[in-house]
Amino acid sequence: MTMLRSLLSAFLVFAAALLVVGFTLSTSTGGRADLRVANGVEPKTLDPQLATGEPEYRLLSSIFEGLARLDARSLEPVPGVAESWDISADGKTYTFHLRPSARWSDGRPVTAEDFCYAWRRLQGPSLGSEYAYIMHMVRYAQAYNTHAAQAAALQGAIPAAAAELLEKYPGSIPAAAVLEFSAKQNLDTTLKGTTNEKLRSFLLRPVGDLAHAELSALPAQFALEGSRRAALFEEAQRHFGVDGGVYATDAHTLVVELVAPTPYFLELTTYYPLYPVPRWAIEKSSGRNWFLPDRIVSNGPFRMSEWRVGDHIRLERSESYWGRSAVKLRSIDVLPIENTTTSLNLYLTGDVDWLPQQAVPMDLAPDLRQRPDFFTGPAFIAYYYRINCTRKPFDDVRVRKALNLAVDREQIARDVMRLGQLPATHLVPPGIRGYKPPETAISYDVQQARKLLADAGFPDGRGFPKFGILYNTLESHKKVAEVLADQLRRNLHVEVAAYNQEWQSYQQSTRAMDYDLSRAGWIGDYEDPNTFLDLWTTNGGNNQTGWGSVVYDRLLAAAADVERFVAEPDFVLEHAHDSASLKRMADTARATTDVAQRLKSMSELRMALLAEAERILVHDEFPILPMYVYVTTDMVKPELKGFYSVLLGSDGTKRPNLRSIHPLRDVWVERDSPGESTPR
Amino acid sequence: MIELSILVFGILVLAATAWCPPRATRVLGALLFGLTLAVVLRFGLGVPVAVICGLLGASLTFRFFPLLVMRRVLFLVPALVLLIYATTLLMYRAPGNPFANERATTPQVEAALRAQYGVPKNASAFFGIYMRRLLLEGTLGPSIKVQGRTVEELIGPAFPVSVALGSLSLLIAVGMGLGLGILAGLRRNTAIDHLSMMLALVGVSLPNFVLGSAGMIVFALWLRWLPVAGWGSLRHVLMPAVALALPNAAIIARLARSGMIEVLQQDYIRTARAKGLPESWVVVRHALRGTLMPVVSFLGPAAAATMTGSFVVEVLFAVPGMGQWFVKGAINRDYSVVLGTAIVYFGLVILFNLLVDLAYAWLDPRLRSSGP
Repeated sequence: MTMLRSLLSAFLVFAAALLVVGFTLSTSTGGRADLRVANGVEPKTLDPQLATGEPEYRLLSSIFEGLARLDARSLEPVPGVAESWDISADGKTYTFHLRPSARWSDGRPVTAEDFCYAWRRLQGPSLGSEYAYIMHMVRYAQAYNTHAAQAAALQGAIPAAAAELLEKYPGSIPAAAVLEFSAKQNLDTTLKGTTNEKLRSFLLRPVGDLAHAELSALPAQFALEGSRRAALFEEAQRHFGVDGGVYATDAHTLVVELVAPTPYFLELTTYYPLYPVPRWAIEKSSGRNWFLPDRIVSNGPFRMSEWRVGDHIRLERSESYWGRSAVKLRSIDVLPIENTTTSLNLYLTGDVDWLPQQAVPMDLAPDLRQRPDFFTGPAFIAYYYRINCTRKPFDDVRVRKALNLAVDREQIARDVMRLGQLPATHLVPPGIRGYKPPETAISYDVQQARKLLADAGFPDGRGFPKFGILYNTLESHKKVAEVLADQLRRNLHVEVAAYNQEWQSYQQSTRAMDYDLSRAGWIGDYEDPNTFLDLWTTNGGNNQTGWGSVVYDRLLAAAADVERFVAEPDFVLEHAHDSASLKRMADTARATTDVAQRLKSMSELRMALLAEAERILVHDEFPILPMYVYVTTDMVKPELKGFYSVLLGSDGTKRPNLRSIHPLRDVWVERDSPGESTPR
Repeated sequence: MIELSILVFGILVLAATAWCPPRATRVLGALLFGLTLAVVLRFGLGVPVAVICGLLGASLTFRFFPLLVMRRVLFLVPALVLLIYATTLLMYRAPGNPFANERATTPQVEAALRAQYGVPKNASAFFGIYMRRLLLEGTLGPSIKVQGRTVEELIGPAFPVSVALGSLSLLIAVGMGLGLGILAGLRRNTAIDHLSMMLALVGVSLPNFVLGSAGMIVFALWLRWLPVAGWGSLRHVLMPAVALALPNAAIIARLARSGMIEVLQQDYIRTARAKGLPESWVVVRHALRGTLMPVVSFLGPAAAATMTGSFVVEVLFAVPGMGQWFVKGAINRDYSVVLGTAIVYFGLVILFNLLVDLAYAWLDPRLRSSGP
């Protein structure tokens, strides 16, 4: 008996002690925050130059501020740290005047040097920032960021691999080996922007066998290009952030020089990779964990006071922020809740006030849609399938077109997704200012699809090899893939099966081109068609279809540097579908002397070039199977004001909030007034 | 091939510890214990103090620890190394890597990241870096997917949460399970027995996320007695603890019932009854002890599993516990996190098995006498 009692009491004491330990270590401090957000996942980092992703965006845009910030009502750039700016007549030089009242949370003034440091850091070759490319239109940036490593590769690994290839194939080199060589050595990105004509023609050559002599001429050119890049890197390293590209003329004046006029540059300065960062704080913790609450120094409307991994991040209104009188929320809790059903339950019981995109359970969303606090609209995200253009029979454009015509996207959007997703006939989601989508051949036309398949040698699907539709494991992808397989089976009488792989395996299969059809999605990084179109450049890192087109690559290159294209329109004009109007636009731009007018016609020409490029994808070549355009989904408590799903531009135009951005600086709570008048 | 032979060699070493003669076991065990003590204490107390403590620990264990414990210590250290090595190999065999990303990264960026985090492309090289970090720097390494933090900084705050949740749920499981099981065993083939065994069947077959969701709907959404999810007060712990406890309670009930039935048929129970002891005295004084034996042996691994958290329940109730790191580490191929969680789990399994052994010796005098 005594033994039993002692056993029991030992167990009780043990459990009680552990409970106490658990609680003393884990109870959260502070009362309920003014705003509680279900943020989907734990942010990977809060270092502006290293972060990626939407959950990070919501946090970083609250605790830091760039030169400009987005106005909540219009999402147009308005003064942030910079109180004003001048843009030179040619659109290539920006002069920002920083407000003297802008302060870091430790009281230091925010200076032009802070931006030079941050941007130089972003481009630093050793930092490994995924978003470095976003600023490559700034002079010297790209060279500083990429050229050192490229020079090393061009003088080492690449010629060595070429020599290996030459040795292995004494005759001509088969197309597959050339492709593998290009992909493995990352030639497309490494050689991007080369002026060496031989390398350029190699890069832009159509997929096919390569003559031995042609390849043996290359190593010398690689070495030449390598030393050129090494020199460019050294020059950039000397000047970038010091006296070129971006530099401070005094503590509160920042000058930015661009390579080419970029209409969306101001918008970019509102984006977190371009935020200023505190050099002294970063260097004190060797760059490793300076963004943790006890170390972070920030300059935004809020500061981070607590970060419990898996529990919450607490933001509090910053008393050092220059515009603190405009900030209404005193505190924000950001919760990393991964289970969307749990997020919804918390929202329904009032523990959470805002469910953004990632936190709304998609399978329940169609039923929630009727609620007045549910907001949805078109999103800047495309959902599509890649087609493996290196595999037979998908290397035949008629087969790819047949697949595209045999899919009833209406049905998928209406019956599977059920949230008003738009069936996609294009890749680029609609709603971009100034972009006129090109003519498309994508529609639902089973008769024509069958005829195309017959033309390709598979009448009534006979002889068509069995193929697979790959998707990464997720319920909603599964539904789409199964319906797609079913439609192809019924409409084309082909044998097809959908199969799934876990995320990492799926990525590896897609990258190694070990698939027939593979699901994909892409979130636009900035409001411009280029963010979707530059995926498909020949051998591009994100292409992963094996498809490539010289004309397409040239069109994108022309759009990236319209000025040069206007000066010397190259051969794409002859291959473009609407070459007459492109030529007319180029002539107009060249003839115009008024600078503003000229900029305007160049930006129109740029959009026309991009539309020409998209036309190749959706009218001629079909390396992809566009499915639908995502919708944004937000659930917001009615007492929360300052959320807008329809934006009102400064010119009075309305447009949807494509990326569902809601700057928390301008959000406020009216808990006591049940009647609401705020427009949404 | 080399990796495989190292693995085989490691397993052979582990097997050899079981055949090790008592004298050698004592010496080696004491040495390993002292070494481990010194390595662990070095970070807190400095090298000289740690060495002294290690020596002291080694001689004390050599002098006083029972052979049973020594054998475990001797097993533990090589097993831990082998665990780390085998896990590393398995991780590297899985497709993908911690730096794989939807967006194409250039080889230069990947190389920079690999160097920064100490994750070379070769499994054995990683094992070397990891062991060096573990032994010389005393860190479980940086997490790659939660940047700016080391693995111990991630597991550190999460572990007490899981331990609190786990111990409460164990308490509930033992209370409910023993109560139901003993009752069922005593009233065999009556309505009470059938009812409690039906409950046990439901508890075993229903996964805890179903129980948790049901509880959430009833107690949080309808009755609004408890919060839906989150962490911070006792109210937050109740539902996840019960959800975690029910399946264990069911198993314990079944074990206790069969244990009780078996014990009641033993000769010594008949003897006790024959000498006229009241039935309650027979049960409490004589039968209970035997009933507890299977339950205790189940509790060892169950406690380790419960205290390292359950991913499903943690995600459902948004509990910031350990369970998430097991799954997230694997999904993200966050190698250091995978190894860190494996080490913690391993340590707990060893600890609780040791406790079970000791409890056995306590409950069953026959085992005690066959000890060292």
